[in-house]
Amino acid sequence: MRFDLDEDRALLKQSTRELLEAESPLAESRSVMEDSAEGYSKALYDRLAELGYQGLAVPEENGGSGVGWVGLAAVLEEMGRAAFPGPFLDLVIAAEALRGAGGEIADAWLRKLIAGEAVVVLADRETLSGEEPDRPGARFAGGRVTGTKHFVPFGRQADALLVTTDAGLVLAPRPDAGWNAEALEVLDHAQRFAAVTLDSPATLLADPAASAALLATCARLAAFGASALMLGLVERSLEMAVAYTMERQAFGAPLASFQALQHREADMFLQTEATRAAVYRAAWAADASPGEAPLLIAVAKVQAGEAGRKVCGENIQLHGGVGYTWEYDPHIYFKRIKTLEHFYGPVGDQLEAVLAARGV
Amino acid sequence: MDLSFTEAHEAFRTRLRSWLAENLERPFTEDLRDPANGADELVEIRRRWQAKLNEAGYLGMDWPEEWGGQGASVVEKAIFAAETLAADAPPIPNFLGISLLGPALIHHGSEAQRRRFIPKMLSGEEIWCQGFSEPSSGSDLASLRCRAEPDGDDWRITGQKVWTTFGPWADWIFVLARTDPDDRHGGISFFLVPLHQDGVEVRPLRQITGESEFGEVFFDGALAKGEHLVGKLGEGWRIAMTVLSYERGSSALTDPARNDGYLEDLIAGLKENGTLGRPEVREKLARLIVQNEVVRANGYRTLATLASGRAPGPESSIEKLLWSEYAQRQSETALDLLGPRAHLRLRSPHARPEMDWAREFLWDRAGTIYSGSSEIQRNIIAKRVLKLPTA
Repeated sequence: MRFDLDEDRALLKQSTRELLEAESPLAESRSVMEDSAEGYSKALYDRLAELGYQGLAVPEENGGSGVGWVGLAAVLEEMGRAAFPGPFLDLVIAAEALRGAGGEIADAWLRKLIAGEAVVVLADRETLSGEEPDRPGARFAGGRVTGTKHFVPFGRQADALLVTTDAGLVLAPRPDAGWNAEALEVLDHAQRFAAVTLDSPATLLADPAASAALLATCARLAAFGASALMLGLVERSLEMAVAYTMERQAFGAPLASFQALQHREADMFLQTEATRAAVYRAAWAADASPGEAPLLIAVAKVQAGEAGRKVCGENIQLHGGVGYTWEYDPHIYFKRIKTLEHFYGPVGDQLEAVLAARGV
Repeated sequence: MDLSFTEAHEAFRTRLRSWLAENLERPFTEDLRDPANGADELVEIRRRWQAKLNEAGYLGMDWPEEWGGQGASVVEKAIFAAETLAADAPPIPNFLGISLLGPALIHHGSEAQRRRFIPKMLSGEEIWCQGFSEPSSGSDLASLRCRAEPDGDDWRITGQKVWTTFGPWADWIFVLARTDPDDRHGGISFFLVPLHQDGVEVRPLRQITGESEFGEVFFDGALAKGEHLVGKLGEGWRIAMTVLSYERGSSALTDPARNDGYLEDLIAGLKENGTLGRPEVREKLARLIVQNEVVRANGYRTLATLASGRAPGPESSIEKLLWSEYAQRQSETALDLLGPRAHLRLRSPHARPEMDWAREFLWDRAGTIYSGSSEIQRNIIAKRVLKLPTA
């Protein structure tokens, strides 16, 4: 038994941290989040593609490097720490959908995605309530897809959308004139979402039954990937809180010397480490013991959500007045984690998955 | 990363399971429910079970060979704890002796002490209790005042110990006593004291559950022989602190396994009540399952860290906080969801025979207090892990 990462994955994690510290320090990515239309640095995503990141979790026979879910977790944890902006997780999810669908067209787009030549994302939401109908309202007929998808991540810039329709999952390349898309302004200012109204040529990738299976896999990957990102977010939020309370003086002593605050930081640590145990156990199961994975991924996601509320919220509180300014960083983590909590495997779905795994 | 058990571990589990199937006469819950069994009878049942386990070589498995060791690691110990619990075997009565004093004697005791005490500790012929806490010294254990004064080559113990688990049935007690009033930590020594002597009085202490598994021990010049000082004079504190670390990881699988059973019972009860379909019930139940899996994940982490030969860091404080706070949430939720019947004690008319949720609900309050309260665990994390400054 061994909980630590093996040498290769430990190295991958370390080099990811160094890369992001060098190329995506928060001061710089803050301006990407705030000022760019895309919400990410194209140059940096190109660099990641050169290094093979977009294809990390894709098996080698499909053109990826097959580091498995443990390796993926290690990378995403680092991206969470750095509050790294952009559609990285969306690309990982889309890659899995394309790989699962197979066929010439999907393979071609998968290769482009891995090479950093295309942003492909899943467009599977149609409601504002989150209560999605069993059968999508978007239609696929005569080689065209029509309908409206909400909350499409980084949808305005996407080179292709994977759209859920009444006929199954289809792939729609961006029309020459661009998407008919509205940029949504949301809680998390680093997140780009679009409402996309579709009426364009598309290719059917999978019939409804096959699509349902693909989407279930994608949903697990989304919940898992979000959990790993959230682990990094809470880890860094705790570090920020500790550093600030060590430095900030009140009543003639550092804030961190007061037991009332020490116990809260101890609780933040508890939540962070509980999340680490849950996320890596889920990752290990996905690689080595797949029967347990559906339960353990749901467990990790629920735990990460709890930790996020606690740790990222407390980080703001422990920063006092500057905690709710735009200038200081806690809000970036507080917002990221809420996006991940709600849009990538919402808690209600996870709890039902837990009960299903227990046969309830 | 590898959270799987080796083939040798699985083989050990298989052998243990078949041994349990052959040797366990009936589940301990049935003994508990049997009105013929008073507290003394239950202790006898546990003592006989311990003797059986010892004959089969399952106690002290990780100790040196001459003291009953089988070359087992913490992983086998954890599997043993989880499997005996899953089989609903009686808990051994000498758990404090075997889990704390045994390792203390192996690491810090004399050869004569090991020869004299270890065999009877393992067989259950001599039951041990632990004399650490005092009425005025709980979390601040180093403030203890029970004292040992020299009497020729021997020592005379005077003072009071409390929250002494298994005190009413014990034959011996290992005691931390003050041998130097001016040296807070270095003035504490570790003694082995027989309870059946003049100058010792053991009174049962009734707990929140109504049971009396605890006791108070009063020493009034009780004799501790010179040869029964463990380690050197003034080493008691250091020995006590290291002793507490020997058991780390061995219960890593036990609590989640116990809780699996409790959750099954809760689900069965909800089905009987016809409330399992209610959304608020489903959410609360699912959150319990999640939390128990988080406890298990942390347990695997602790075990894997120990198995790869490294000392666990803060995981042990995390483990204590996680399981004890989870247990409170679990039993309180069960009471909330199961309705009035969950208030029925095990031997009450109309009780569900499988599970005494009312007892669990009461006893779970103890878990966040004994063996280092939740507050002490948070202090440990704050000071030793986060390195936060002292005011």
